[in-house]
Amino acid sequence: MRNALAIAVRELEEKRFVLYAALAFAVLPFLIAVIPGINTRSRLDAIVTTSFILATGFTVGLAFITGTSFIGRDLSDGRMSFYFSRPVSSLSIWFGKLTAGILMIVGCFGFIIGPARLFAGQNWDRVFPATLGEATTYVLPAALGLFLIAHVIGTFARSRSHLIAFDFAAAVICGIAILLMARSLAIGLAFILIKWLGYFLLAALIVGMAGGGAWQLERGRTDRRRNHLALSQFLWGTMAAALLLTAAYVTWVVSVKLTDLGSGIRATASTSGPFAVITGKTRGRADYQSGFLLNTEDGSSTRIDGSAEWGVRYTRDGRSAVVPHMEGAFADVLIYRQGAKKPIDTGLTVAHGDFFVSDDGGRIATLSNQNILSVYDVAQKRSLASVLLPFSGFSQGFFVTPDVLRLYFVAAGGLKIAELDVRAPGVHETGLLASTNSVLFYTDPSAEHVLVRERRADGVTLNDARTGALITTLAHGTNVRTARYLRDGRIAFIDGPGSTAVLHILSPAGVPERDVPLGPARWTMIIGDDGTRGVLSADTGGGHQTLFAINLNRGVIERRESIGVWVPSGRWDIRPPIEPLREVFYSDAKGIQTWNPATGAKKMITGG
Amino acid sequence: MTENAIHISDLTVRYGRTMAVDHVALSMDRGSVYALVGRNGAGKSSLVRCLLGLQKPDLGSAALFGEDSWSRRPALMQRVGIVTEEADAPPEMSVAAIARFCSRLYAKWDQAGVESRLKTFGVPLKSRFGTLSKGQKKQVSLALALAISPELLVLDDPTLGLDVVARKSLFEEVIGDLADRGTTIFITTHDLAGVETFADRVGMMEHGLLMLDEEVDALKSRFRRIRFAAQPLAVDTAALRPTVMRSWGSGGEAVVSNYDDLAFERIRSASNIGAAEVEAMSLEEIFIAIAGGNDGGNS
Repeated sequence: MRNALAIAVRELEEKRFVLYAALAFAVLPFLIAVIPGINTRSRLDAIVTTSFILATGFTVGLAFITGTSFIGRDLSDGRMSFYFSRPVSSLSIWFGKLTAGILMIVGCFGFIIGPARLFAGQNWDRVFPATLGEATTYVLPAALGLFLIAHVIGTFARSRSHLIAFDFAAAVICGIAILLMARSLAIGLAFILIKWLGYFLLAALIVGMAGGGAWQLERGRTDRRRNHLALSQFLWGTMAAALLLTAAYVTWVVSVKLTDLGSGIRATASTSGPFAVITGKTRGRADYQSGFLLNTEDGSSTRIDGSAEWGVRYTRDGRSAVVPHMEGAFADVLIYRQGAKKPIDTGLTVAHGDFFVSDDGGRIATLSNQNILSVYDVAQKRSLASVLLPFSGFSQGFFVTPDVLRLYFVAAGGLKIAELDVRAPGVHETGLLASTNSVLFYTDPSAEHVLVRERRADGVTLNDARTGALITTLAHGTNVRTARYLRDGRIAFIDGPGSTAVLHILSPAGVPERDVPLGPARWTMIIGDDGTRGVLSADTGGGHQTLFAINLNRGVIERRESIGVWVPSGRWDIRPPIEPLREVFYSDAKGIQTWNPATGAKKMITGG
Repeated sequence: MTENAIHISDLTVRYGRTMAVDHVALSMDRGSVYALVGRNGAGKSSLVRCLLGLQKPDLGSAALFGEDSWSRRPALMQRVGIVTEEADAPPEMSVAAIARFCSRLYAKWDQAGVESRLKTFGVPLKSRFGTLSKGQKKQVSLALALAISPELLVLDDPTLGLDVVARKSLFEEVIGDLADRGTTIFITTHDLAGVETFADRVGMMEHGLLMLDEEVDALKSRFRRIRFAAQPLAVDTAALRPTVMRSWGSGGEAVVSNYDDLAFERIRSASNIGAAEVEAMSLEEIFIAIAGGNDGGNS
């Protein structure tokens, strides 16, 4: 310690001219401020800004120059034996020189910025956007980091050894390994985890560089090539160990199983098919969010992106799930077919969420940021049509048939309706769904008629789906909550005040068939039907939701199931599914479960 | 403790494919003076660096006072004064600052002695080290090395850059004096004439090998130059081994490495070689004879 201090003092004495230069730089902003042309009001700004720029530039430059020379130059000039022929340890030499370098960098920064800081007083924060504390938070650690990096570069470069090729390769390998790990975690939206692992690797790098300096002098002493070798061994050894630990942890993090999911669980399920996407976090994995595509038919689960829950689409026939796989800002579109072991890579890249699929998943339409709508045939892997949408405000779209897309645009007076036929490319306006508010709509299975609900107007109307023309008003002023078509074309909607919610079942033409009182329910959702029974989810108070299985033909509630929270299914649906509803997903304190409305059977998916 | 001041065992240093020091072994008693000689590139400096713990040998070991010099370097340096081949102090520092800095590192330091020696050498204390001549730098290094009253003084080519007067002063007044007072000295040099008067033992390195390691007196007693008045030369090589043979005037000259008066008289009487003159040789002459012989100088 005493020797390290003696060496530090000696090094500082030798480089005292640098401190003199820093003092000169401290005076410079005050001289600049009195240059004619700078008015009195701007002088303080000039002093503060100039001193900060000078301090930053001087400190960063000094860090680099000192870093490359404080060991490397003594080695290359053959002057390291001055220390090694004295009774001082390698550690004392290293830490003495290191301490001197750090003190010089920190001191020079302080010397240059200090007078301006004192002069500015309370006005410092006004003049400069960052406070001194915040500025030093970034500038000084960056300068000290650069100092160590420059030392490594200096040692490597001055040794004039072929070993530098190995160092370059090692640095590239480390960089690639870090990128790969960060990428696999980013897919799971684990940005906090990436930050902490980044800190860990940064700490390892600092240990590798600082410890490597001590190690190089202990092993290499006066020989510059042996110094290089020892530093290389220590630095890359440390980094390799840290990367192996990180890789082992990351491997464990990403190897999560569906049953491990424990918190932050989100899920969507196909209304009629066996697919569900479940995402969530697990213990010990910080904010890493893993995603699974579950096939309830065979119980298998496939790992997908942790964010896939927001972008997944289920086909109307229930046989496919179309899942975006994030690649940077865009996503590759993969199709998971029922019964197929591997997904189909469509080769399509989309902005997150801006795509929709045909009933059987055979065609996909994408909308680019430039408002270009393209329709692709998945099997042929080719574009069928690509048009620049003539209207702005795209709202919704769906395949009426594999060849025809119906598109809705937000326009003055309501939703503009248009169609694109891939056989005769071009977008043709077909009508307008007149509305003064944003509307929710749901078409019948053939997409000829549409149920329309205005968000802020209490009612539901039956309209022509192609022209938007009003056919009839089904309810008005009855506190309508939800409305949708059943698979057989009948209409179902729920209205009534919170204490007396009622399910109304109507014929396809809108003629009332029967009403089913549901009892107290504040929020309701018609999930779907299996041909015999319709399934509803309702907020029945007390923080609980209840699933109802209602016999549509007899108009009676067959079964109720109190659940935690219903897992949304058919979120993007605007047409009833082709296949009957099989199971309803819900989550409670135990995890994700399914409920069979026909039998009342429940099955645990996660947790338990 | 009776261990050797220096003990080198099987010391090997390689630089790539070049063998700088080739399995060298040597020992040196306390209180003696060892002169290691050899041409440039013979491996002397590599050996000294290993000896001082500045470089790790690829094979073998070097010990000072019975302790491994690589692993125990910091402690050993309290007892060893060093004058390196190239002056290594920071050029920006003044001589006084260097002395002040060094004084903080040693348990024992004779500042007055440093100043006195520097005054004797004529080196101003305020001078920056970088502005000194090569000889002055050596003198500063020597003054610093002697400030700790070292048990062992290691001098790596200390006369390099010194003028004749300074060289003579160094050898006779400084090193000779230290040797007389029993300081153990290990010196590498080209200046064999300088060390001849006080070196107890001499080693000679060539191509990394220690070709010779012998007491100076013994070495000098077995080497002789024999000059013959007439040609041809006829030396019984079984009795006297000639290292060098060559023509000299109208006669011939041989350097023998195993001279023995009786053997010589026997040869002279048995062979018809006529008048012959036997001369003792200096260390320098012996070195030249050996080095020349190894270069294929036999004729």
